[in-house]
Amino acid sequence: MLMSFTEELVAALGKEKVLLDPSERFVYGADWSPRTSDEFFPPEVVVLPRTTKDVQKIVSIAYEHSVPVTAGGGLTGMLGGAVPLYGGIYIDTTTMNGVIEIDPKNQTIRVQAGATLQEVNDAVLPYDLWLPHQPESKWISTVGAAIACDNDSTFGVRYGKILNCLLSAQIVTGTGEILELGHRKAHFTSSGYKLKDLLAGSEGTLGVITEATLKLEPIPATRRVDMLVFPRLGAAVDYLSRLLKAGLCIEAAHINCKRRLKFYTHTYRQKFGRDPQIPAWAEALLAISFAGDQEIVDEQRSYALKLSKDFEAQLVEERELVESWWASKYTLEFEPFKQNWPDSQKEKKFGAADPGVPVGRLEEFYHKFIEVAEKHGLDIIGMNAYLEHPNSIGFSLSCAVWVDYRNMDEVKRFREFHDELSKLAIAFEGTMSTFMSDTYQKAPYLELEHGESLKYMREVKRLFDPKGILNPGKKFGRQEESK
Amino acid sequence: MSGLEEFKDELEVCFGTSCGFCERGCPVYQTLKVKTLCMKGRNRTMLGLVQGRFEISPAVIEAAFQCTLCGNCDRWCSLKNTEHTRAFREYLLKHGVEPMKEHASIVASIRNYGNPWFQPRSARNRWTRGLNIPKAAPGQQDVLFFAGCTSAVTKQLTPGLIASAKLLQRAGVKFATLGQEEPCCGSTLMRVGQREAYDELAKKNVERFESLGIKKIVTACPGCYTALKKQVEEHGSKIQVVHVSQEIAGLVKSGKLEVRRSHERMTYHDPCHLGRLGGVFEEPRDIVKEVATLVEMPNNRYESRCCGAGAGLQSAFPKLSRELGSKRISEAKATGATTLVTSCPFCETQLRTIPGIRVIDLMELLLEATQPEEKKNSGPAKQAS
Repeated sequence: MLMSFTEELVAALGKEKVLLDPSERFVYGADWSPRTSDEFFPPEVVVLPRTTKDVQKIVSIAYEHSVPVTAGGGLTGMLGGAVPLYGGIYIDTTTMNGVIEIDPKNQTIRVQAGATLQEVNDAVLPYDLWLPHQPESKWISTVGAAIACDNDSTFGVRYGKILNCLLSAQIVTGTGEILELGHRKAHFTSSGYKLKDLLAGSEGTLGVITEATLKLEPIPATRRVDMLVFPRLGAAVDYLSRLLKAGLCIEAAHINCKRRLKFYTHTYRQKFGRDPQIPAWAEALLAISFAGDQEIVDEQRSYALKLSKDFEAQLVEERELVESWWASKYTLEFEPFKQNWPDSQKEKKFGAADPGVPVGRLEEFYHKFIEVAEKHGLDIIGMNAYLEHPNSIGFSLSCAVWVDYRNMDEVKRFREFHDELSKLAIAFEGTMSTFMSDTYQKAPYLELEHGESLKYMREVKRLFDPKGILNPGKKFGRQEESK
Repeated sequence: MSGLEEFKDELEVCFGTSCGFCERGCPVYQTLKVKTLCMKGRNRTMLGLVQGRFEISPAVIEAAFQCTLCGNCDRWCSLKNTEHTRAFREYLLKHGVEPMKEHASIVASIRNYGNPWFQPRSARNRWTRGLNIPKAAPGQQDVLFFAGCTSAVTKQLTPGLIASAKLLQRAGVKFATLGQEEPCCGSTLMRVGQREAYDELAKKNVERFESLGIKKIVTACPGCYTALKKQVEEHGSKIQVVHVSQEIAGLVKSGKLEVRRSHERMTYHDPCHLGRLGGVFEEPRDIVKEVATLVEMPNNRYESRCCGAGAGLQSAFPKLSRELGSKRISEAKATGATTLVTSCPFCETQLRTIPGIRVIDLMELLLEATQPEEKKNSGPAKQAS
């Protein structure tokens, strides 16, 4: 008698690694993205693997039965990337969070892909090393999910994003084959095709990432974070360009529109019971950090402040404001029991589009963002441009609005806003995604973004996942995959 | 009202945010890695029940009861997560779920004996023998020492109570006890979902304290501390409730107790109900620092990890409970400390079952250090693990 795929999973893994109860499956059916509480997509079964071999068994069973397989980590995706749209099997990779090897001499770590970014940093802290890929979700976001989503990092302008840290990764393909992609502990290679790079932003559509070798960096001795205000967003861009020309090594740089400041100053409001004040003329705030030996940091900061005078900038002297912003962005050191997440989200929640535009068109795009948000009747949180490319001005844009997730119509309007900004970014000679990936939301616009090259992408997908079982509906619509 | 609708708005906020920051410090989730067993998943489970997405099942019951209510999730949140979990338990019991057999026994014992340990009421007073402590009478005393049932009826734990009483006496504090009439504080009832029984008990307790004219309750048990504090506040009573570590730290600071210091490395484990949920972090540390060299575990104060004994987990899920305890002991050993000091009978009992480090009650430690050197050996025995 033929066994169902769930029976096969139980037989292969043992019942303790297989969750079948409707209540257990239910909780894996939604991520962080703006959605009403009716929009859960529970998988048919949740599996809790411990090893790559377990994952291989799971995908092989899924392949035999042509069942969808969606792998997820902390489920903190902002656009539904790891939501199992078509049910099937959900692989909770967080059960695979072991450290396989720390190599302090070569500054690398090999981990199972379900380790959170924080767990990696906890493990390497005794060696005075760190993984500088640091999204705000670092406590929960896993290594595998960070690769698959290609999410953002606070320190991108110095270290880049996860791909800049990724030396090698192990995956299980859609046929159940185990592959290692990368260049062992070498930092780069000129050999072969860079298949490892395909994993960044792949959303688990090419394989389930099971292990990764990551490059670590020495922890700088000190860090100094400052904020400067500018009369225009474009002036902040020009200023950063000047700092890079001068040869300064910036650790983090974020350009915020003045509206966005409110969202990032939770601790300030907790402490003083009011919103922070900035000069009325200021339209942009630049948060910038330098890190390293104290003498170097002091020297670079001093030079940066000297140059700021040429750009009509003014230093924010109020340290509480700077520290409050930094708490939201990086340290997450809020007053106990009063965490920004979810305290700021009680009425409406944060929702964003993540386009990228050419560096000279930031200001122009900002005004379009405001126009589009207003057209769709959404309350505006504001824009944050994060510099995410090492030692260059390239930025991710977070164009954020408040979304009433109890109101289906508002969720719909948010999605229309998101789509419109995505298409607009392409028209601006940019890209529709810089840190949330495509998911199902951007799938209809992939041809607009990639043109003729999309058919090569489909072929790549088919090579890794011939039956289209891996995270179906993401990047390509489910029917699209068979084209 | 079923008990969950009251929290629907908060459940939706958790769903709307879905940050998952509660996962990082949740001792149960970090051990079992099943998302229904951390607060984000538990809130979603409650939301699913409210929405009628599924029925109550064994997995739903486990989601409600496999939790120590340690409050670590609350520390990383602005929602009342432990309140949600308590309400979840009450909801299940109201909707036909039989109490876990271990919890049903506890409730029966509290009804019959005034403690969850099946010990006769007379056992409640054994620890006071030879200490010459007066029994509370109306208008006769300002300070009531509330021993708590667990230490009072457990032979291995009574030295902590004896030490507390001797230290208070030595510092000249006048206090009384309720003897064998000391009631249950209600903490266990509240945490295993027995709301009605708890409410009834809480009312009686406050009436009793008020009728005796008590101004201050000094309690040796963190569970009693949070429960009694909540009760007096909810009933509008002005009685002050403090933990014995707060009272004694004040006496040490004011020079009423002379302490001998050693160079031994010791670490301090924050009981959840005293630390994170009670806000008492520094006074116990001040005492340890008077006695020895304090070395902190990486997870301390608000970040302290639960020992695994609380909220009915030890009785209903002993294997899981022990795993949580083992993790905490590993953390303590990694500091290089030779002694783990704590100030909670549940934590002490739990952590002493795991070998590797000496576990001692804070008051026993202090009493040892306040004895004249020649009398040290006649003091309360060390509780070696």
